[in-house]
Amino acid sequence: MKRDPQTINYCKKCVYPEISVNLVLDDEGICSACRLQEEFEDLNVDFWPNREKKFADLVSWAKAKSTSNYDCVIPVSGGKDSYFQVHKALEWGLKPLLVTYHGNNYLPEGQRNLDRMRTALGVDHLVFGPSIENLKKLNRLGMRMMGDMNWHCHAGIKTYPMHVAVKFNIPLVIWGEITWSISGMFSSYDYVQYNKRTVFEHDMRGFTIKDMINNEEGLTEKDLAWLVMPSDEEFEKTETKGIYIGNFFKWDPNEHAHFVKEKYGFEFAEKPFERTYRTMSNLDDMHENGIHDYLKFIKFGYGRGTDHASKDIRSGYLSRVEGVQKVLQYDHVKPTRDLARWLDYVGMTEKEFDDICDSFRDPRVWWIENNQWMKRNVDGTVSSYGKVRIPKEKYSKYKVI
Amino acid sequence: MLKKRIIPVVLLRNGAIVQSRLFKRFQVLGVPSAVVKRLSSWACDELIYLDISPGGSYSFGREDLNYPELSGISDVIELVSKSCLMPLTFGGGIRNIEDIRFRLSLGVDKITLNTAAVENPSLISEASKLFGSQCVVVSVDAKKNTDGRYCILKGGKELQDKCPVKWAQEVEALGAGEILLNSVDRDGTASGFDLELIEQVASNVKIPVIAIGGAGEWSHFEEVLLQTKASAVAAANIFQHSENSVYNLKKYLFDKGFNVRKPLKLSHLSSNL
Repeated sequence: MKRDPQTINYCKKCVYPEISVNLVLDDEGICSACRLQEEFEDLNVDFWPNREKKFADLVSWAKAKSTSNYDCVIPVSGGKDSYFQVHKALEWGLKPLLVTYHGNNYLPEGQRNLDRMRTALGVDHLVFGPSIENLKKLNRLGMRMMGDMNWHCHAGIKTYPMHVAVKFNIPLVIWGEITWSISGMFSSYDYVQYNKRTVFEHDMRGFTIKDMINNEEGLTEKDLAWLVMPSDEEFEKTETKGIYIGNFFKWDPNEHAHFVKEKYGFEFAEKPFERTYRTMSNLDDMHENGIHDYLKFIKFGYGRGTDHASKDIRSGYLSRVEGVQKVLQYDHVKPTRDLARWLDYVGMTEKEFDDICDSFRDPRVWWIENNQWMKRNVDGTVSSYGKVRIPKEKYSKYKVI
Repeated sequence: MLKKRIIPVVLLRNGAIVQSRLFKRFQVLGVPSAVVKRLSSWACDELIYLDISPGGSYSFGREDLNYPELSGISDVIELVSKSCLMPLTFGGGIRNIEDIRFRLSLGVDKITLNTAAVENPSLISEASKLFGSQCVVVSVDAKKNTDGRYCILKGGKELQDKCPVKWAQEVEALGAGEILLNSVDRDGTASGFDLELIEQVASNVKIPVIAIGGAGEWSHFEEVLLQTKASAVAAANIFQHSENSVYNLKKYLFDKGFNVRKPLKLSHLSSNL
């Protein structure tokens, strides 16, 4: 039962293609993320007050449990959401310890935002960064294995703060957005907390330390101790709970960005990004909007333009027509600025990079015509997206015209 | 005195594990096997794994994950039974004795019948003669019709003019070993179990009834144990929402003095799953 890439469907409401990561289109052609948004708009009036009450209970519990210790860990990248999380925690009288996994991909303004948190918010901050040599190795491994050089970030951001919380016996870990709103994985009334399975499956893509050691890069178990999670028993003993702030307070990133800019001096991007129109996201990592996201386009035929436009269509900042325009303008753009940095950083040629990219194209999106990669776009048109670089014997995976 | 069982249910649809709402809306949770590994580490009493795929697709379709590409249901079952450290019940797409035999040969302990039980009730008796009644679970999905009477739904889609209590008694007479009783109207609502339905069915048959549909908090499980004769309480979605979920639920019930198995000690080994 192979899906024909030429007949790929897009959500009728936003601009997601049906094969978007963890997304489902229903019988009416509306995607699970739009359905979730509808659900959030139709919440009954008691929903947020009830959730706030739940948060109040958690705050009292954490304070009672921690006494002379930090009440909570807040994992921060220094982005707009980090500022909002800390702002909320302070508002509720919590004593937070900020924890950062530093992946060494900060834009200067992103780094300044990170450093400013101690000043602007008056909080303690722990920054952890793996050895740069080891990061380069992890970049290369991630790129080759799964077409994601930023795998180490997605993993480290999620694992390291939990180690800190468990080792220091801190009861609460306050994460930010309910990340599943991207695909509509959970519902508003699912009271979702941080758990190992979602991190393993979605952040780590099913790869663990075992896949990163004993190979050509020579990393050892000791190099990557931070990649492994604390044991189930430790989580149970300390009762450390990870919660998502977006589960308790209405979440509007556009609004939050302006709020923290006004209140705490949060800086937006100095230069517009090459692959999206938003300037307040992903300052902590130049590659998230750059080559990491370009690989998403290579794999699944959509990128950050689609992500941001879909969110903004749902929350009424853009019409679908405007969203489609943004997608056509940004999704396919090959980034130059951060690609140059990365190739130099890890010692790879652009040809090697392009060849690896091409090996990850999804046959549900791409087909081959006259040795060109073809794709149906969100506006119904078909375009070619460059020369096919995979060897002829691998053509059989794709529809060839 | 037999212990009351707590049973997580995993739903597979088109190659992905999903949450289900009212049998209509589905949300992707992840790949077919990771969740099984996780549930195994909490020492669940059993696992019920249901294939609710409308088409015959078992591909997750992601080459950027550390995950094998599966081509059919046998791949799924093999993978699942490899990572499953508890008794495994498998359901979905079973039409005849061969289908059952094949699944048992791959390491499944019990099977569930839904569509086939309605269309071909003699399969129930045949299967229980061949494999023992302990192997045959009949899945009964109850839904209120427009008059507000409970009827059963065949294959998750077609409403039958059949009352779940009567149907439960029929399948019991045919040799079914257990009944998995779901309430379609409560499915994925997190609003609590349909206690009335559960009690009606459980008090009219002698075989164990596993109740599912509507769990939203631990106290909902308590209500089923207190107010109905169900032998087991099951849920799908809620166990996907928090760390050590099944362990914590069992601990909650055990500490309150319910007749459930004592939660086993959790692993002291660092691990990502």
